Amino acid sequence: MPAKTIVVNSSRLASDWAYIANRSDLVSPRPLLPVTIDSRPYVLFMDEEGELGLIGRHCPHRGADLCYGRLENNGIRCPFHGWHFDRTGQCVETPAEPEGSKMYRAIKTPMVPLYEQNGAIYAYVGEGEPTEPFNLEHAETVQ
Amino acid sequence: MIPQQLNDQLTRVGAGSAAGAVLRQYWQPACLMDELSEGKPVPVNLLGERLAMVKTPSGDWSLVTRKSRPEERPTYHPQQVEVDPDGPVYPVHEKRGIMFAFLGQGAAPEFPNFDCFRAPDSHVFAFKGLWECNWLQALEIGIDPAHASFLHRFLKDEDPKDSYGKQFRDTAADSGIPITRVLREYPRPEITVDETDYGLKITSLRHMEGDLTHVRVTNAIFPDAICIPMSREMTITQWHVPVDDHNCYWYTMFTSFDQPVNKELMREQRLAEHDLPEYRPVKNKANDYHYDPAEQEVLTYTGMGLDINVHDQWAVEMMGSIQDRTREHLGRSDVAIIRNRRLLRKAMAALESGDLESLPMQDSAAAGIIGPLSNDAIASTEDWQGASWQADMERRKDCPWDATV
Repeated sequence: MPAKTIVVNSSRLASDWAYIANRSDLVSPRPLLPVTIDSRPYVLFMDEEGELGLIGRHCPHRGADLCYGRLENNGIRCPFHGWHFDRTGQCVETPAEPEGSKMYRAIKTPMVPLYEQNGAIYAYVGEGEPTEPFNLEHAETVQ
Repeated sequence: MIPQQLNDQLTRVGAGSAAGAVLRQYWQPACLMDELSEGKPVPVNLLGERLAMVKTPSGDWSLVTRKSRPEERPTYHPQQVEVDPDGPVYPVHEKRGIMFAFLGQGAAPEFPNFDCFRAPDSHVFAFKGLWECNWLQALEIGIDPAHASFLHRFLKDEDPKDSYGKQFRDTAADSGIPITRVLREYPRPEITVDETDYGLKITSLRHMEGDLTHVRVTNAIFPDAICIPMSREMTITQWHVPVDDHNCYWYTMFTSFDQPVNKELMREQRLAEHDLPEYRPVKNKANDYHYDPAEQEVLTYTGMGLDINVHDQWAVEMMGSIQDRTREHLGRSDVAIIRNRRLLRKAMAALESGDLESLPMQDSAAAGIIGPLSNDAIASTEDWQGASWQADMERRKDCPWDATV
């Protein structure tokens, strides 16, 4: 594993927001961490604008592991066929497809909303649209 | 995206499974002759069965059932083999360093007269390796010509002179351009797929500047093998044989059209990367494939070294032991994968209705199938078809064994 996986089990939390990491954990030449929420795999990464994205870990093309992705062009690029994703999980390029292909527009990998407070990063683990972040003191990670 | 039920049908190989029944109608690699060199019984884990290669009193090898414990790992190689006299016994046939076995119903089909089978022993080297994933995703990476431009991208080109026995290190045809550079600079191949008597012929065109086109011809050999060029001198014929639903072995026959294969060197290169007796890769999931982010920035696309087998292994193992195809999004570059699944579905349906004859290479004509053509060429864009044919014919014309087609 590129780094130890952060594991969250939302049923054990009192809040819809789970603490997953500190921003300081992403101060690294390769700001990327694997995160698993309720058995669903994600990858947390920082883009070149310093913004965070928590998106599905397996490339929606053929399932390659984006935790080994290339952090470039303000997003993450799958090493299998170069599919490129931004921090919202939107695919922005499929460079092996024919010139002019618009296929990428319809490709989006799941994205988990994030909230940052005092250097701590929280992921939304509730149902539907995110609620206002509150109860953050109960949002501890369950390892 | 395909439904879960279809994914199960295409991938599962245990007793009573549809895809397993198709695979069993073909000769499958069971072990390397290297493994049998001491003459002692050798455990074989194949298609969900616990078997062993044992020598009969007449001195021939036989594939028998062995006694096993339910808690054994799928790839387990016990030191002592205990034969189960009540279990099935399967026919075996040695071909160029590999012992093949037939686990199907009725009479075994003829071997096609592929180059890897008709070349003399001196010109074929066989090896194997374990991948901890389902056989179909292992096969599908081999019939996906686009991934080489990314997964195997070298950010710098090696000197092709140091390339013996390695994939993608030669220069393309006689152009002096390293294949690594062609792949890197032209990442959008135009791929066409033609159905053949052995499976699929896959043609990938990379249109280059100066009105030149790089033509790469590769093949899917139904149901679980590929034939691809390795260098101007050698081709690779590779099977992806299930151990069970979640593990498979690749078996490769490297076939030389020129000099006898330097087997000692090729064996040494590969033994250094594998732990015996299970032929487990030294770089694997448990040690992160020796992933190095610093290397990924400057040298390779994956950060996993220069051995492209490791890149493929990473790609297919980290999908999950059976790729979740209910979530995939196939593109135009996946055309051969789509066509191959169609062949497999057709064969499964035919076999279920008892129509074995309609499966590829199951009739007596199989023994007459030669080739397949498999090469890299660079030609003027106008004449790529002729140039690709010509490149293969030249290699065959000068070949010390009969490689005519």
